[in-house]
Amino acid sequence: MALKSVESQVPRAPGPGPDASERELLDRVAKARDQAAFRTLYGNYYQRLSRLLSRMSVRREDIEEVINDTFWVIWTKAGEFRGASQLSTWIIGIAYRRALNALRRAKIRPVSDEPFDEDSISVASTDDAETDGQWLSLGLSRLPVEQRMALELTYTLGHSCEEVAAILDCPVNTVKTRLFRARETLKQVLPSLAGMPGENS
Amino acid sequence: MSSRIPDTHAEAWALLPWLANGRIQASDREWVEAHVAGCEECRAEVASQRMMATAMHRGATPEAAATDEQRSFNRLWARIEASESASPANVAAEATRPATRYSRTVRWLAAAVVVQGFGLALFGFNAVREPPADGQIHTVTTVQPSRLNAPMVRVAFAPDASIATINTLLEHQGLSIVSGPGTAGNFTAELSADAVASGASANSVANVIAKDPNVTFAEPVAP
Repeated sequence: MALKSVESQVPRAPGPGPDASERELLDRVAKARDQAAFRTLYGNYYQRLSRLLSRMSVRREDIEEVINDTFWVIWTKAGEFRGASQLSTWIIGIAYRRALNALRRAKIRPVSDEPFDEDSISVASTDDAETDGQWLSLGLSRLPVEQRMALELTYTLGHSCEEVAAILDCPVNTVKTRLFRARETLKQVLPSLAGMPGENS
Repeated sequence: MSSRIPDTHAEAWALLPWLANGRIQASDREWVEAHVAGCEECRAEVASQRMMATAMHRGATPEAAATDEQRSFNRLWARIEASESASPANVAAEATRPATRYSRTVRWLAAAVVVQGFGLALFGFNAVREPPADGQIHTVTTVQPSRLNAPMVRVAFAPDASIATINTLLEHQGLSIVSGPGTAGNFTAELSADAVASGASANSVANVIAKDPNVTFAEPVAP
């Protein structure tokens, strides 16, 4: 497939977000305990974090708890943010660590306890996008959470390698390795990405 | 920045996801693009990674409804209010911090006190309990409504909003302050029976006043 035609299908990576305006919101939270600014910041991250936590195997009903724990930290520590990293990196990093802690304490039940049913993938589907999405869900479910997060942060949230390393609190080379392994695993389960249409069906 | 030009297949391969998402470092972009231009395998991989990115976007969890987000925030805010009202020492300590650093907080607290002092008289306030002897600030979640089952709205005003402006705004919507301010500066207002009879609801009124420049926050109070 020609590179140009593929490029035109790719949604623009959202990137880390409008950091300057969000810094202003955080300053208002820190200095004036501004509820409106806090609410705006919450809204800016609610969907992003919901998606990320969902990929981390956090159940729908537990996601709100992790998001609110994250914003509890932001409310109480807003004045301590010094801008050493992007604000989005700081916030998503807090959410990631809160979710990991929660998973480790087994307070939150991992979705991956439920085995993925490969038979549920409709091989007769005429909708390639839907079928690819099902294979992708299968592939992601087989990845360790750290690899899944590296993928999600890179492709869905559009972060740079350095930002992903900051969020996951690991070296840049570790992020590259995780993504390398994730790509290889996914190629085994995503027929179209592996260039073997129909092989797995 | 390293002066080395790592023009190797393996190193370029590792960076392809960020070439695909457009976030590769400027210092790497040039040599990676040069390598990809001459490497058929890497070109195919970039195309493959872009397809993966597209599939991940498409397969992202459906967005939660706006009402879910608001409900979730309301729970968080109630937790913050409960925590801050449970720590009067913290509130007092914050009020005594340097005025230069917390000038807006101090101004807001002062404005809230003025609004409370004058506003309650103006609005015929009669349902708020007397301030406790210990001086503890009560939040909006601790008060009693003046009319059973009356629709309620939680509202915060801009620090520079005048009493007259607030009075006019509330009167126009059939609202009466029944309690506040909470530690975050919120007041609770109830909707008059006349306003309810004419079709107004806590939700519709909150939506209307939220657009007023003198209002910084407004939401219906869950029954």
